This record gives sequence, structure tokens and C-alpha cells, in this order.
Amino acid sequence: MEQLSKILYENILTILIFIPIIFSLPLLFLKKQSEKFIKIYSLLLSLIVFIFSLFLFLKFNPDVEGYQFIVKYKWISFLNADYHIGIDGISLLLIMLTTFTIPLSILISWQSVNKRIKLYYFMILILEGSLIGVFSSLDLLLFYVFWEFILIPMYFMIGIWGSEERVYAAVKFFLYTMIGSVLLIIGVIWLVYSCMEKDMFLNAENALRKFTLDITQLDKISPFLQPQRQILLFLLFTIGFLIKIPLFPFHTWLPDAHVQAPTAGSVILAALLLKMGTYGLLRFSVPLFPVAFLTLTPYLAVLAVVGIIYGALVSIVQKDMKKLVAFSSVSHMGFIVLGITALTQEAVQGSVIQMVNHGLSTGALFMLVGMLYERRHTKEIAQFGGIAKVMPVYAGIFLVVSLSSIGLPGLNGFIGEFLILLGAFGSQNLKSIYYSVFSATGVILSAVYLLWMYQRVFTGPVDKDENKNLKDIGKIELACLIPVLIFIVWIGVRPNTFLHKSEKSVNKIILQFKNAEIINKTRNTIDINNSVFREEK
Amino acid sequence: MQNLILYSLSNFIPETILVVTIIVCIIADLIIRKKSFAVTFVAIVGLVLSFVFVVKQWGLSMSIFSGMLAIDNYAVFFKLLFIISTLFILLFVETSKEMKTASHKNEHVYLILSLTTGAYLMASSVNLIMMYISLEMVSLTSYILAGYLKKDKRSTEAAIKYIIYGAASSGIMLYGMTLIYGYTATMNINEIFLYLSKNPITDTPVLLASVIMISAGFGYKISSVPFHFWTPDVYEGAPIPITAFLAVTSSAAGFSVLVRFFLVGFANTEIITAVKWQEVIIVFSIASMIIGNFVAVWQTSLKRLLAYSSIAQSGYILLGLAVVNSAGLFAVILYLSAYLFMNLGAFYVTILIHNKLGTDNMDEMDGLGYRSPFIGVTMAVFMFSLAGIPATVGFIGKFYIFSALINTNSPNLTWLAVVGLLNSVVSLFFYVKVLKHMFLNKPEKPLPELDYGYANILITLLLAVPTILFGLYFTPLLRLAENSIKIFGLN
Amino acid sequence: MLSEFGQIFVFMIIAVILIAFIYVVVRFIAPHKPSRQKSDVYECGEETEGETWIRFNIRFYVIALIFIIFDVEIIFLFPWAVVFREIGFIAYAEMAIFLLILIVGLIYAIAKGDVQWDKPEPVIPKLERQLFSAKPDINKKDNQY
Repeated sequence: MEQLSKILYENILTILIFIPIIFSLPLLFLKKQSEKFIKIYSLLLSLIVFIFSLFLFLKFNPDVEGYQFIVKYKWISFLNADYHIGIDGISLLLIMLTTFTIPLSILISWQSVNKRIKLYYFMILILEGSLIGVFSSLDLLLFYVFWEFILIPMYFMIGIWGSEERVYAAVKFFLYTMIGSVLLIIGVIWLVYSCMEKDMFLNAENALRKFTLDITQLDKISPFLQPQRQILLFLLFTIGFLIKIPLFPFHTWLPDAHVQAPTAGSVILAALLLKMGTYGLLRFSVPLFPVAFLTLTPYLAVLAVVGIIYGALVSIVQKDMKKLVAFSSVSHMGFIVLGITALTQEAVQGSVIQMVNHGLSTGALFMLVGMLYERRHTKEIAQFGGIAKVMPVYAGIFLVVSLSSIGLPGLNGFIGEFLILLGAFGSQNLKSIYYSVFSATGVILSAVYLLWMYQRVFTGPVDKDENKNLKDIGKIELACLIPVLIFIVWIGVRPNTFLHKSEKSVNKIILQFKNAEIINKTRNTIDINNSVFREEK
Repeated sequence: MQNLILYSLSNFIPETILVVTIIVCIIADLIIRKKSFAVTFVAIVGLVLSFVFVVKQWGLSMSIFSGMLAIDNYAVFFKLLFIISTLFILLFVETSKEMKTASHKNEHVYLILSLTTGAYLMASSVNLIMMYISLEMVSLTSYILAGYLKKDKRSTEAAIKYIIYGAASSGIMLYGMTLIYGYTATMNINEIFLYLSKNPITDTPVLLASVIMISAGFGYKISSVPFHFWTPDVYEGAPIPITAFLAVTSSAAGFSVLVRFFLVGFANTEIITAVKWQEVIIVFSIASMIIGNFVAVWQTSLKRLLAYSSIAQSGYILLGLAVVNSAGLFAVILYLSAYLFMNLGAFYVTILIHNKLGTDNMDEMDGLGYRSPFIGVTMAVFMFSLAGIPATVGFIGKFYIFSALINTNSPNLTWLAVVGLLNSVVSLFFYVKVLKHMFLNKPEKPLPELDYGYANILITLLLAVPTILFGLYFTPLLRLAENSIKIFGLN
Repeated sequence: MLSEFGQIFVFMIIAVILIAFIYVVVRFIAPHKPSRQKSDVYECGEETEGETWIRFNIRFYVIALIFIIFDVEIIFLFPWAVVFREIGFIAYAEMAIFLLILIVGLIYAIAKGDVQWDKPEPVIPKLERQLFSAKPDINKKDNQY
């Protein structure tokens, strides 16, 4: 028994990745008629994964620097690519968010999805496994395999169960993200080869001796690459991530995908898939290419601020509720990127917690809009009015979630945005307080668009006949929302439960960055001497 | 003399077995006189026997028939590839309804085997004349095979088009060969290399012209732009199993001889700088990728789509050759082995669809993924593999091609990798279009489900499982590729 | 000076000029007196009969093809005959195998009815698949990318 628990403990990540993938396969061979069984089976499966991940959360030691639960097996010896997984605080939170969101998105589709149920739940479970894989891979090839693989179930999710324009949206989503991934794979290959070139380093001994895709090795070496090469590599890596985030101006796929996707698809997309981008930024772009990051920080930060304000402004004028929430995502993700560019302890912590927050609140908003859509088959704001009288519980929950998204103190959104703005204000990296000042308007604007929408939909007289007999929220729907509400309040009141977990990991990234910065500052002077020396030779 | 011939013959057993099998098949066909699996069975036995003797040649390195043919791991690799694909094609033919409408009964068996024999010779030929003859042997049989359904106008049209393009391009190739012979006074590519590397290269336009002319012949076999004009029509007109055969075996044979010609005869920095064939290959490959991918986007026939996709795929493989080092060659070998499974698979699923629907028009395939989930899922696997999505073998091929491109510095080819990868995004568009029809589009009226027999499912799985398995664990493929390219001695 | 290929090129040009020259000269010098017999089609000295531009039966073509195949293979017998004594039994075996293969081919041609002169039923080719199956549906919603 003890041995069993030891094996369990050591391989917990592998279990988390492969339980949903392997145990979802039987779904495909079930009969179509056994709908109920399929639903319960996949719900139970996702709950089991959640319970395992709780175990992960409790056993995770926040005082240890570096990765934990590391598993490493030989995979492809030619490339020195290993099955190498492990997590730090940042990935822990995102994995928790994944395992938490998936059961909810299964629940939310309980009644709304009626066609091709087997395939639907199969896709969701596959997505879960691959997402956990993305967040825990420490090998670039493994990471890339999971990263790309996620496209396939998501494509089908949007394309099969979406609304009218689904095919267009699915293809657009697929192609946009594919362009990003293609650049990413070039970046990966080129990074490794660059690290093996001796000319790329001041000290030739730094160079890698053999081909490896292990990021724990690469992030010790690649910060010392030649700045120009770093910038190129940084762009190759980062454009892929920025498309996924999506940062302005790469965001155009997002509204289409969100509006057309089924509710659960939107939830997963907003809560989890977008986080892959920011996670990639934090895990790869920053530690691997500090010099490039330093050089390009102003551009990234400007894009983030533009994204915050642009997203908010566009949200205000939306007529479709789902589109409004989608554009608000662009705005919120801008905050996260701003926090990462600030690179202070507070700001990055804020970004990490904001990733979770955005997952919770925007996910919940999508669920709520989805529920309304179920009842009225329209998402147009003008079609509603006075819903609060018909559906009081629903209206109450909507208000709480909106306020959390706006960033009301006491709820989760406040913690993230406050930390980011605070960090960005005093950031040495950004060198200017205006980023903070401008993005703070985003918070105000978010109050405008969300409350205005709330006002138009929920208050006033019930002037449409169709709206008079709407049923209030049901048991299953309540079951989806209550857990989210609990966490919205929990993070708002006691953020330390979560912040504590990621503290060391964030520190490590910032410290790494600082070290590389110092070394590269001295580099300029040495570089001149070195070039003279080279010519003599 | 006598001993030499005997010695050569003793190392010529795999080919001899095939020739004997062909004759036995002909006699069997004459005796049986009706459609029968026996003839195919004889062919399969012959192929398996030949397989055994080919494997025995692994590790040898010699040339036979006074420098006409080489026996080395490279040739062995290709022969194995040909055997596997031929075995699959024979099975494809057995399960294809289209081929049953042919007025001939068993002829395809020995025609296919003759093509394989020609491909064997192509893979091992090191002499220009031998290259030409073996290429013609492959071509002639493929003309007949393309027109196999002689009552079908399109099939006949395909054969005629194929023969005209084939004649023209092999004529051009022959002229290129005479120019090279005029320049170096030898037909053996090893001696050509010796001559070129020892003597100063003076008439570069002549050499460049001859290289381009010879590429016309090879380029026609691998259907690379600008020698691709026959491909869509022939692929569409020929019966699908034959199309698959042309797309895999015939083009792999083209690559085997193309790679050997350039990397044995012209792989030397001075020759490359003088003759500039590397640029020629790069231009061909970019043109193939762009034209193949962009034209494929507009296709409505699945066969035509796969035809343009093969044009694009040969563009990717040419990228590996353009690198001119062992990593590039390694990638070519790897890509070809990946190509074997995924392309044969895609064609086989097309056959299965054609069996039931009687058409390969994609508009008729709306909702097919639900009418037969098995077909839908396997098609998805093959399409994603062709597009190069991870966890499939196609990704490994692309990964190695592009890492070879990125890792070379003389000249810097990273831009080419970017071009290639952006092209693969375009290719994704039409590969996904197939799946869009199968899964996302609703048919106008509900259609009955399709059932497939165990044999069909088994053959599909034989192709689909390696496509995924080698995508996840590809060390065996790498070993094979690494050993196959040792003889070239590239760095 | 000229390279070797250059010389060949000069040679080609000279050849073309020479031929053209001869044609021109002939045009001027030769007497031009056409008669019925002279402008007839040349058929090895025989008198021509009927129209020249008639359609030949396709079966002549098949026969001619078979004839050429077997005729050309005979060429291999001549060099073989010269070295037969030197090489000995192996040469004999080789040629036996070669002829055996040829005989199989001949039997094949006969068995498949390629040398039969009887007229088989003509098979009129017809299009089995539609050239343009299914008109593109403009109103279809899902076709939008």
C-alpha cells in the first residue's frame, strides 16, 4: 500500500495527463443511446482528475525553488528528447484551473449539447489531458506536441457544436493559431542549434555540446546568446504566444471563435487556451531571451496597453453579449501581459493570479450568457430588459461575477489587477508610470461596459413578451456556478493560499532575468574588445 | 568475365525473384483465365521472398554488372519501401470496386510487379544509362496502369497525357545526359564526380543546362513543379489504387535516383558553387510547395486534392535535398518513410469512400464522418499527418527537414524553413477542408450509415497505427535512416 | 578559341546551311516536268491502287507491334552466337532463359487473342462517371471559406 502511494506520488503528473486521454477512449465505443451513462462517466472521470490534482496541490511544496514532481524517461534518444515533466508554482495554479474548469464545462453542456455526445465529451477530456501536458512539459518537443494537439479537439468543438457561422470560425481559429505554432517550431529548432554554435557566445564554453530540448538546461545557456539572435528567436517564440493570448493586433480570431463556439467551448477557450499564451510567455520567452525581452519590453507593453483600452472600448459598443465578453477578454489578457512586461515581484504575481481570475470570471460569464441563450436563443442585448424580475437568482450571480470581472475589492479581480498596476507603477523594466496610468482606465472602462450591459439586460421593465416566462436558474446550472463563486470570493479574501504557491517560482524567473541583465550589461564593453580580437585572428 | 557475371547475378537475387514472379504470374494468369486471388497471392509470396533477400543485402556495399548497379544500404532502404508499398497496393486493388470494372482480369498484378522491379533498379543504379532505362521501365508500366480501365474515357485520357509528358521529359533528360557524357566522357556517376572534382570546371552553362535537363526527367517522376502538369489529370483519371501506387512508389523511386545523382555526382562545395544546382533545387522546391498548396485549396475532387498535395509534398522533400548534407539526406529518408504510411493511408480511405459513394467529389462527402466514424477518424489521422501536426509521423518528417534547413550555415537557409512552414499552414487549410466536409458540413438529407468489412478495416489500421505510433516513438525510423545514408559520406 | 561543343555547334550550322543551299540550288537547276506516274505515291514500284489516305485496320498495328518486339529480340542472338564458344554452358543457359521468356510472351499474346484476326464485338467507350457531378450550390451555408 505504501509502495503504491509512493508510485502514485511520483507519477501523479503522468496520471493527470493520461487518465483523461486513455479513459476517454472507451467513450467512442459506447452506444449512442446510453447518453446518461456517457455524461456521468465523463463527469466522474473529470472529477477523479480534479481530486488527483487536489492531492497535487496539497503535496506541492511552495518553499522549494525549481520544478517538482519531476518525471524523466528517455523518449527519443537521437534528439535527446525526453518524456520530461514537472511543475512549479505557476504551472500548478494553471493545472488546478484546468482540472477545476473541465468538470464545470461538462456540467454546463449537460442539457445544452444534444448531438454527437460521445464525440463531444471525448473531445473535452482529450483537451484536458493535453492542457495538463502543456502546463507541465519541461521538454520543448513534448511541449510542442501537446501545444499543437490541442488545436484538433478545439477545432472540432467549434466546428461541430458551434452556432451558424461555426465552420468559418473554426477554420479561422485553426489557421491563426497554426501560423503561431509554425513560427514556434522554427524558433525551437533554431534555439537549440544557436545554443550549439560557439560563435553565438562570448565565452565559447557556454555553448551546448549536444542537441537537447530540455528547457531546464536551455534556460541556463540561451540568456547568453548574442542579442541579435535572441531578438529573432524571441519574436519567433513570442508571436505564437501572442496570437494565442491574443494580444492586440493578433486578436481578430478571438471574437469569431468565442461567439460561434458552444458554451463549454467558450469557457475552455477563455479560461484555459488563452492561458497557454501567457504561460508560454512567462515560461519560455522571458527566461530564455532576457536581453531580447528587455529590448522589446516597450513594444510589448504598448501593445498590452493598447489591447486593454481597445478591448474595453470595443466591448462598450457590442450588441451581442457573448461578443462583449469576448472583447473584454482581450482587455483582461492585456493586463496579464502588462504584468509580465513589468517583471516586478508584485506585477508577475498579479499576472499569475490574474490568469486564474480571468479563467474563473470570464468562464463564469460565458456560462451565464450561455444559460440565457439556452432560454431565449438570442444573445442580443436589445432583446432583453428587466430579466432581474424574472430570474432573480440568476441576476444576483451575474452581478457578482460582473463585479469580480470589473475588479471590485473583496472579489478576485481586484487582487490581480491591483497587483499588476502596483507592480507596473514601480517597475524598473517599464521605466514609465504612464503604462499604469493608461491601463488603469481599462478598469474604469470595464465597469462601464459590464454595468451598462447589466443595466440594459437586467433592470427596467420586462417589455418583451418572450422574456416574461423565463425559468430561473436550475439545479445543474447552480452546481456549475457555485464552485466558481466560492473561488471568486476565496481569492478575493484570502489570495495568499494561491499567491504563496507561485511566489518562489516567480522570484526565480525575475532573479534569472536580473542576472542575465547584469551579465549582458557588461557584455557591451567586452564585445568591442572581442571583435577587435577576432579580426586580429 | 564469366565469374563477374555470376558474381553479379548472385547479388541480384531480389530482382531475379521479382522477374521470376512476374513470369509465374503471367503463366498462372494464362492457366486460370479468370479473376482470381491466386495470382495476387503468388505475387505476394514473391514480394515476401524478395524482401528476405533484400534484408540480407543490408550492410553490403558493392557495385555489380561492371558499375551499373550499386548494392548498399541506401538502395536496400528504398527497396524495402517499394516492397511494403507494393504489398499494400496489391491489397488495395483487391478491395477496390473500381478495379473490378476493368476488362482485364489479373494483368495489374504483373504490371505492378514490373513497376516495382523498375523501381528496384532505379534505387540502385549508379550509371546514367541504367538510370534512364530503369526510369523508362517504371514509366512504361505506369502508362499502362494509368490507362488500366480502358473503357473509362478519363483513364484512357490519363494514360495518353502521361505518355506524352513522359516521352517529352525523358527525351529532355536523355539530352542532358549526353551533354554530361560529352563533358566528362563517362556515364558512371562516381567517375563523373571524380572528373568534376579533379579538373577545373570551365563550361558551367553546359553543366547547368544538363543538370536542369536531367532534373526534368527526375522532376517528372517526382511530380515537382515545373514538370508537374500531368499529375492532377493522371491522378484523377487513373484508378485510385494505381494513383496511390504512382504517388508513393513511383515518386519515391524518382527521389531515390535524384538524390543519388546529385549527392554522389555533384556533392562537392566547388561543384556546387560552379554548377549552382543547389539553387535549381531550391527554386523547384519553392515552386512545388507554393503551386501545389495554393492550387490544392480550390479543388473539389479528393483525388485532385491529393494530387496537388503530392506536388507540395515533393517540394518539402526537395528541401531536404537542397541542404546538401547528411542531416538533409537523413530528413529526406525519414520523410519518405513517413510519406509511405500517410499517403497510402489517405489514398486507401479514398478508395473505401469511392467504393461506397462511387465518387471522390468532396461535396458528396458531407457528414461522412458520422456515416462511418472509422473512415472519418482514420482520414483525420492521415490528413493531420500530411499537414504535419504533432503526434503523427508526418510531423517527424517535417521536423527533421526544417531542423536540417535551420542548422546549415553554408548558405543560411533559415528563410527557406520559414517559407516551407508557412506553406504548411496553407496546406493545413485544404487538409482540414476534407475534414470540414466529413465532420462539420451537414448533408442535405440524412443518409444511411456505411459499413465496412473487417478486411478493409484491417488494411486501414495497418497504415493508421504506424502513422501514429512512429509519430510518438520514432527511434526505429531514425536508426534505419541513419544507417541508410552512411555510404554517401557527407558531413 | 571554340570549345569542343562550340565546334559541334559550328558543324550544325554548316549542316543546316548546306542543306538549305542544296534545296535552293535544286529549285533553280532541276527540270520540272510532272506527269501522272511521277506524282503518284511511291509504293515500292507497284502501281498504286485506290485512295492512299485510307484508314488501316488497327489490328495491323497490333500485329506490327508484336512483330517488332520479337524481331528486335533476335538482334541479341547475333552477338551471342559470336561469343558462344568462349563462354560455354552459361551462355547457353542464358539464351535459353531469354528465349523461354520470349516464348511465354508469345504464348501470352496468342492466348489473349492478340493475333486473332476475327473481328471481336466492338466496345463503345462510355463515360462511367459524371464529369461534373453535383452542381455547386450557391445557397449552401456551410461553404463559406
